[in-house]
Formats: sequence, structure tokens, C-alpha cells
Amino acid sequence: MIQNFISMNGYGFFVWLSFAITFLACGIVYYKTYKTLKKYEKDFAKELDQLSEAERKLVLEKSKVASQFLASYNKSI
Amino acid sequence: MLTKKVKKRVSFLSLLLIFLVIAVFFILKSLTSNILYFKSPTDIQLSQDVISKKKIRVGGMVKKNSIKINNQEIKFVITDFKNEIYVSYSGTVPNLFSEGKGVVAEGKLKDKNFFVADRILAKHDENYMPPELKDLMKTNVK
Amino acid sequence: MLDLINPSRIFNLIEKLINFINSIFFVLLIIALTFALVLSPPDYLQGDSVRIMYVHVPSAWIGLASFTAIALLSILSFVFKIKNLNLITKSIAPIGLLFTCIAIITGSLWGQPTWGTWWAWDARITSMLILSIFYILFILTHKLIEKEDKANKVSNIIAIIGLINIPVIRYSVDWWNTLHQPSSIKLDGTSSIHPSMLLPLMLMLLVLLLYCALILLMKYKTEIIRIKKKNIKRI
Repeated sequence: MIQNFISMNGYGFFVWLSFAITFLACGIVYYKTYKTLKKYEKDFAKELDQLSEAERKLVLEKSKVASQFLASYNKSI
Repeated sequence: MLTKKVKKRVSFLSLLLIFLVIAVFFILKSLTSNILYFKSPTDIQLSQDVISKKKIRVGGMVKKNSIKINNQEIKFVITDFKNEIYVSYSGTVPNLFSEGKGVVAEGKLKDKNFFVADRILAKHDENYMPPELKDLMKTNVK
Repeated sequence: MLDLINPSRIFNLIEKLINFINSIFFVLLIIALTFALVLSPPDYLQGDSVRIMYVHVPSAWIGLASFTAIALLSILSFVFKIKNLNLITKSIAPIGLLFTCIAIITGSLWGQPTWGTWWAWDARITSMLILSIFYILFILTHKLIEKEDKANKVSNIIAIIGLINIPVIRYSVDWWNTLHQPSSIKLDGTSSIHPSMLLPLMLMLLVLLLYCALILLMKYKTEIIRIKKKNIKRI
């Protein structure tokens, strides 16, 4: 039964290879996207951190994204 | 919202698209003979110049009860239900090659009715069903 | 309508959606894979190689749908000069390219046991290859052209030109003799696939669509942060 499942009546190579390629490719793209996102988040947080107190206050007040970002980013650390 | 600039861009795009559609249409039209992956037996009957030197592909259905195998040679008939062509081939055929199913043969024409293939491709149709259902249909037909 | 693509309004929503998809994704993936690989029957003719269809067909659909979406958004962006739309098209493009390539490769893996060849220059397969070239051109313009405005403009035009290719792909199997079989699922909803095989197909489509949504959201979030970071002195 297991043997049959793996060999797929002779089509096993093609079936398993196509599923493997699909999920491997998707996995790699996910990993790369995730990495890039984290890198940008880190850089952005660093840049916000380096601003002077007054500047940061102004930025957070004016930009909703920046304030939302900082809130969720601080939570995730 | 519809400022002058927007209108200008809309007309530019419409012109571009219309031009492209016409261009693509004529390109595809003139390339039809190259785009066709195979010719049907009828196409071959109707064609004026049968160049027997050139490799072509013929496609259609394998006629029922027409497959004859002796030694290495397989002979069968490709039909499009209007015209037929005899095919001879030696070599292995794909698993899905069978009577009443689609086939594409690659090779050279001997004459308008006889084709010598050096490669056979099976053409699948768009129907997908489990084997039990197929058996059921067969018994119902009988 | 414009509110929906305004980054500052949907930034929190993106975060929530990503978490939601992450929480249900693996359960659905396992269900879909069980149906696709174990529970669904083999085909009466193709045997078990029919299972390749469960990744091939959804991938091809996603490849086509992504390009259509990119092209339509590009038209809007080109006409009304809405910059945020370009952030979205830029986020969709890699997903579309990924799935177009998957469709081509799995199609080739299906073609070898069924047709008897890895590759055929028939109209459907060639037009699919052209689609992947359009994706590559689209992505390359953003990589090669430094000035953002110019890159947006060029990529919009590329997407709009590529739009012509979409109906050609869709109807290639009807217009010309191709080795590729005609569509099993018609636009009017009728299908020549048995329900026991349609279910895993739809489940796999759902899973892959969720994956696309996940990548799209993550990429879009990255783009928003990139823009905000660039403009940090101005905000």
C-alpha cells in the first residue's frame, strides 16, 4: 500500500517531482520575501530610532504608518 | 476628475491597444501554418504541394480496429472522420496511445494517403474521470 | 475605493490578514494534499499522472490571473497616475512569474508520461512562455530603471502590451490545432472533470491562492515600509 503510494503505478517520479518543485519554489519565495520584509522593518526601526526626540515625535504624529509600524514592531520583539 | 491630461492618456492607450490588437491579429494570421502544431488528414488532402522531403506532423484520432502490429512495425490509420491517412511507425509508443484516442505523428509523407512516422505523441482529451466510472459507462452503452 | 489602497489605512489590516492566513494555512494545505495525493481516484486513462494536474492547473490560472490584474491596475495607474497601484503591481509580479514557471515545469513533467515528449512548440505552451517573458521584462524594468516615475511608466506599458497575450493563451487551444488539450472547465461553469477530481483541484487552488495573498501582503508591506523609509525626512 505504501509502496503503491510512492510509486504511483509508475508515475511516481513525475508526480512527486512536480509536487516537490512546486512546494520547494513556493517555500524559497516565502523565505526570501520574509527575509526582505524583516530587513526593511529592522532598517526602518533603526532609522526611527536614530531621529532626535523632537523629530521622531513629529514623524509619528504625522505618519500613521510609522506609528502603527512602531507599535507592532515593538510588540514583536 | 477627467482633466485634459487624463483624456489624452486614455486616447493614447486606446489607440495603442487597437493598433496592437490589429497587429497581433495579422501576425498570427500570417503565421497560422507555423502555429498549427499538426495538420489533419483533410488539410493534407486539400494541400496542393505535398513536399515529401519536409518533416510534418499529422494529427487526429486513431481509427478503431486499425492498429496492426507485426515485429517492430506498428501500422494504424489516423482519421478526422472526413479523411484518413495510413501511418507506419517503428519504435515505442506513449502509454496513452490507443484506438479511438487522439494522436500526433511526426514524420514524412510518402504520398497523400501514406505517412511514415518517426515519432508518435499521444494527444489527451479534456475529460477526466475515475476508472470505475468509465467501466460503468461502457456497460451502459452495451 | 481609493481608501482601500491608502497605505496608512490598511497597514494594520495587512498585519492582521498575514496572521490570519498563517494560522489556517497549514491545516488547509494538509487537507488539500490528502485529497490530491491519496483520496482522489486515478484517471481512467492517465492513471496517477493526473495528480500533476492539481498543481499544474491552479498555477496556470494564477499565472494568467496575476498578469490580468497587473495589466488592469497598470491601465488605471497610467491613466490616473495613482502611485500606490504600482506598489501593488510590483508586489504581484514575482508571484505571477513563480506560478507561470511552475505551470510550465509541471506541464512538462506531465507531458513526458502522457504525450511522450517534454516539450512541444504548440500554441498554448509557446504563448505561456511568452507570458513568462513579459513577467521578466516587467520585473526587470523596476530593477534596472532607477528613477521610480520612469520605471512605473515603462512597466505599465509593458503590462498593457502583454495584456494582448492573455486571450491568446486562453483561446489558443480553440483557435489552432495544439497538442495541449482544450480547457476542461469552461467559462460558463460547465466542466468535463469528474467531481471527485474537481474537489482536490479546487482545494489546491484555494491553498495556492492563500499563499499568493500571503506573499502579496508581505511584499506590499515591504514596499510601504520602503517608501516611508525613503520619505522619512519629509513626513
